[in-house]
Amino acid sequence: MKTITITYIIMFFFGIYFLLLFLLLHFKNWNKLYDYPPSKRFPTITFLVPAYNEEKSIGNTIKSLLNLTYPKDKKKIIIINDGSKDKTAEIIRGFVKKYKNIKFLDKKNSGKADSLNQALKLVNTELFAVTDADSYPEKEALIKMVGFFEQDEKIAAVTSRVLVKNKNNFIEKYQDLDYNVIAWTRKLLDYVDSVYVTNGPLSIYNTKAAKKLGGFDPKNMTEDIEITWHLLSKGYQTKMSYSAKVYTTVPSRIKQWINQRVRWNLGGLQTIYKYKKYALRENIFGYFVITYVTFSFILALIGIILLARFFWLKFSNYLFLSPYLLQGYNPLLFFKIDFYFTILIIFGLSFLALSIVYYKLALRDSEKRGIFGILIYAFVYRPLYTIPLLMSIYKLIKGEFGWYTK
Amino acid sequence: MVYEIVKLRSKHRIFIETLILTFLILIIGLFLGFYIEYNRTKNIIEDYKSFEIEALNLRLQNYYYQTIELADCDRAIQENLRFADEIYEKGLKIQKYEDVNELTEDLLLEKKKYVLLKTELWLNSILLKQKCKNPFNTISYIYTQNENFAKEAEQSAISNVLGEIKKDKGNDVILLPIAGDLDLSSVNLFLRVYNITYLPSIVINEEIVLEGFHGKEKIVQYLK
Repeated sequence: MKTITITYIIMFFFGIYFLLLFLLLHFKNWNKLYDYPPSKRFPTITFLVPAYNEEKSIGNTIKSLLNLTYPKDKKKIIIINDGSKDKTAEIIRGFVKKYKNIKFLDKKNSGKADSLNQALKLVNTELFAVTDADSYPEKEALIKMVGFFEQDEKIAAVTSRVLVKNKNNFIEKYQDLDYNVIAWTRKLLDYVDSVYVTNGPLSIYNTKAAKKLGGFDPKNMTEDIEITWHLLSKGYQTKMSYSAKVYTTVPSRIKQWINQRVRWNLGGLQTIYKYKKYALRENIFGYFVITYVTFSFILALIGIILLARFFWLKFSNYLFLSPYLLQGYNPLLFFKIDFYFTILIIFGLSFLALSIVYYKLALRDSEKRGIFGILIYAFVYRPLYTIPLLMSIYKLIKGEFGWYTK
Repeated sequence: MVYEIVKLRSKHRIFIETLILTFLILIIGLFLGFYIEYNRTKNIIEDYKSFEIEALNLRLQNYYYQTIELADCDRAIQENLRFADEIYEKGLKIQKYEDVNELTEDLLLEKKKYVLLKTELWLNSILLKQKCKNPFNTISYIYTQNENFAKEAEQSAISNVLGEIKKDKGNDVILLPIAGDLDLSSVNLFLRVYNITYLPSIVINEEIVLEGFHGKEKIVQYLK
């Protein structure tokens, strides 16, 4: 058997394994997807909102936090101005004057993780939540999340379902699909105690556990992934409430989108590197989470290489054939494609069929849940992931790390 | 504690269940793939065997026409054309099967036999043309097995053009694609006779040798 065929079969094996894992998790737990344990005692909570040049959104974020259904005496808000150059600080001051439960921490720019760490020192409530300054939790989101902490004392973080607020152009609309897929997948991972990201738009943490770990890692580009892995590595559990929705503003332009994904990739790789010693050890974190995330990167990279090889072969064929067009070669024959049923086509079709079922289930609540939307998502949007991944590798090789959010 | 371990194990049993299911899909896929390709290879080998019998028949027929003066030329030509068409169609199929073959081994030995068959057919066609006063055209397409990107494209273009000519001209043309670099002495002899130094080349009616790609119109103008 040819090496390339073996490579494809290995790729399909892992691809089919992960797809089947998610589908089985779904079919075994489909009736529990939206379940959340109701809170009996409503623990005290402080919202931390780091903001850097967020004058357009910060006001609405604060309003949505104020509107959250929760006992008023048990909810506090700390807004951190991370050295904004616009009117962010001015807007925050306006709210601070009006509401007693809002505190303002004005500091020089030092990044999101450091801002959160400085604010964490001021937290004296049982729980604290992190909300991005361009995100808007639904009114009932909080009460659909806090109950999880009462289930098991090992639960140190609960995350929410992030959805897209701005859905106007192509990149925004397909990020909406992307966020739906990510949220659904994350909830399925919850059933095997493997929620490996507590997202920035809305996640709640046990204050004592987070302080014990030293808070957020300022050196990491994705502090939300890092703190989750830190908690998991110490034997804590993380959960997700699929019913708790938070709407976030996503990049509107491809360049912003690429920068954001580069940051996610680099942060993810930093985190894998930091926690590599836990791989294949002790618990689900060591055996599955690290392996799964690492494999996702490796499979994506091999996928890019295979895709590049495929296109190179096609391109070179057309390139070398094209001069014959000028010599009377029939253009219809130029584009002739022969189709023969082979083993790779069997695996490819199996993978495609499973992927369509997977996306169909993941996008049940999405506006573009039709087969056309799914195909565009799978064959146009998802391949765009290649660009930030390659850029991340390039930056990693060059040793370039930066704050790519803005 | 025991309850916790049992609960954890039952929760994580899904990883093993998925693994079993994935292996099942993999085994079914591999089995199906092997089955399809095994059948294709079996068919190719059977085709070769039937060609060998046909070739022997044709060879004997040739001896017959050479020794008996009053032989029926039309019938001989028809037999030759039928065999040539069949061998050409099968050749295309074999080539495509070989290109997509992922699991089974290379059919080099069978391919050599096939090339010799076609060379014999060529020889037979030359003799028939001499005996029956040139009633049809032969286009011998001598190609290379050692393909790089440029060669692959060039050969793909040539075989497509020749395929179109065969489609248009039908029984007026016998098309004989022959691998020129399998180190077969009878093929090498032909290459020397027609002074073919570049692969791919086309020999039209044993008179014109065209090196590399040439458009349909140019090839057609050399046909009778």
